[in-house]
Amino acid sequence: MILPKFRYYEPRTIIEACQIMAELKDRARPLAGGTDLLVNMKKGIVSPESVVSLCEIQDLGDIESSGTILRIGACHTISGLAASDVLRQRFRALSTSSGSLGSPLIRNLATAGGNIVSARPAADLPPSLMAYGASVILKSASGERILPLHDFFLGPGQTVMEADEILSEILVPNPPPGSGAAYIKLGNRRSLEIAVVNVVSFIALDDRAETIRKSRIVLGAVAPVPLRAVFAEQLLKGEKPGDLLFHRAAEAAASECMPIDDFRGSARYRRAMVEVLVERALKTALKRAENWPGEE
Amino acid sequence: MERSVILTINHKDYELTVEPNETLLEVLRDRLGLTGTKAGCNTGDCGACTVLMDEKPVNSCLVLAVRAQGCTICTVEGLAEGEDLHRIQAAFLDKGAVQCGFCTPGMLMTAKALLSENPHPSKDEIKEALSGNLCRCTGYVKIIEAIESVTDNEKTR
Repeated sequence: MILPKFRYYEPRTIIEACQIMAELKDRARPLAGGTDLLVNMKKGIVSPESVVSLCEIQDLGDIESSGTILRIGACHTISGLAASDVLRQRFRALSTSSGSLGSPLIRNLATAGGNIVSARPAADLPPSLMAYGASVILKSASGERILPLHDFFLGPGQTVMEADEILSEILVPNPPPGSGAAYIKLGNRRSLEIAVVNVVSFIALDDRAETIRKSRIVLGAVAPVPLRAVFAEQLLKGEKPGDLLFHRAAEAAASECMPIDDFRGSARYRRAMVEVLVERALKTALKRAENWPGEE
Repeated sequence: MERSVILTINHKDYELTVEPNETLLEVLRDRLGLTGTKAGCNTGDCGACTVLMDEKPVNSCLVLAVRAQGCTICTVEGLAEGEDLHRIQAAFLDKGAVQCGFCTPGMLMTAKALLSENPHPSKDEIKEALSGNLCRCTGYVKIIEAIESVTDNEKTR
């Protein structure tokens, strides 16, 4: 399988990259890890006239953690995320989802930004990032905008990004004390697998660790976009955590997802698994919230 | 839009002109005759084309050759020193970890990266590290045994 011909640009700064994109618009595609774009180009699914490599832009590979926020450069590799101590300690669900993407070889190339902009409904990172309330920075020659990831996806492969915009950074607020999150991916294999269903449950307890102050439940591979289970979240809010409550929330999540039948699984199976996995993830998230900030 | 690049492969610099759409795998095999690295699926699923790029194992079918400039590339040809096999190669031979041999170069490179980072991996860590390298003969047990048998007595070269 041979790559079609294309013009290749290798900007050194994000400004330069934005200028190139402003000029070429949808005739060009930004290239980061290449694990998605190059495969799709080999298969003839996309055939951009030009490819704009973001790999040489230094800042895009960085990751930086402060007291309030984690900033992930769009070109930071997934293996970098999976190996990060900060993620393991403070963003467990994101750490787990990074470690379950593709294979170790793919993770050494694939990037955080790439897993978002490709907008696959079963992608590993978006549910976790959304559960932590992440935003993305979109840059273009005319400026930049910050958008909650929740508002980013429109459908399979479809996002709100304009043709001249580049996703440069992902901002993840530090989870509050007394919170916990868990990611569960269901697949037929343990590696190189696209999720049949993936879920993240996030819980923040009140100051006395008695009731649920806030929760986020995000479901993957059961809708055209990663889906917030808002009814389930409402059920949990202000309540005392417990098995029965979690069961009811999981049932609500199952009723609000919109899965389809495909070769990975039937819609009925996916819906049933949402119920099982949300309940499981809630229990783990609660354990982590109660043990905050320590390891489980 | 040809470009001239210098690729550092197995401690040797190669100066050549490449098209942007040439992958590192194609350059290794078709231009430089380094055919130890195998072309399998060409889509990043099988791991037959694994090489080390700055000591990290990657699918060379998904790396543009122009992007490999400035990185240190190590292929299976860079393992042995003359007639002396690398200890991971010797372990594969010793344990019979080769059946048809097509996945072997990729397996060796992944194993090398694993052992450089973690000289005493557990069985689970070995399995995890190898999870992007497929063996169509399904000879995984011997491959894992071979990697387990490589001890820390000598340093990983």
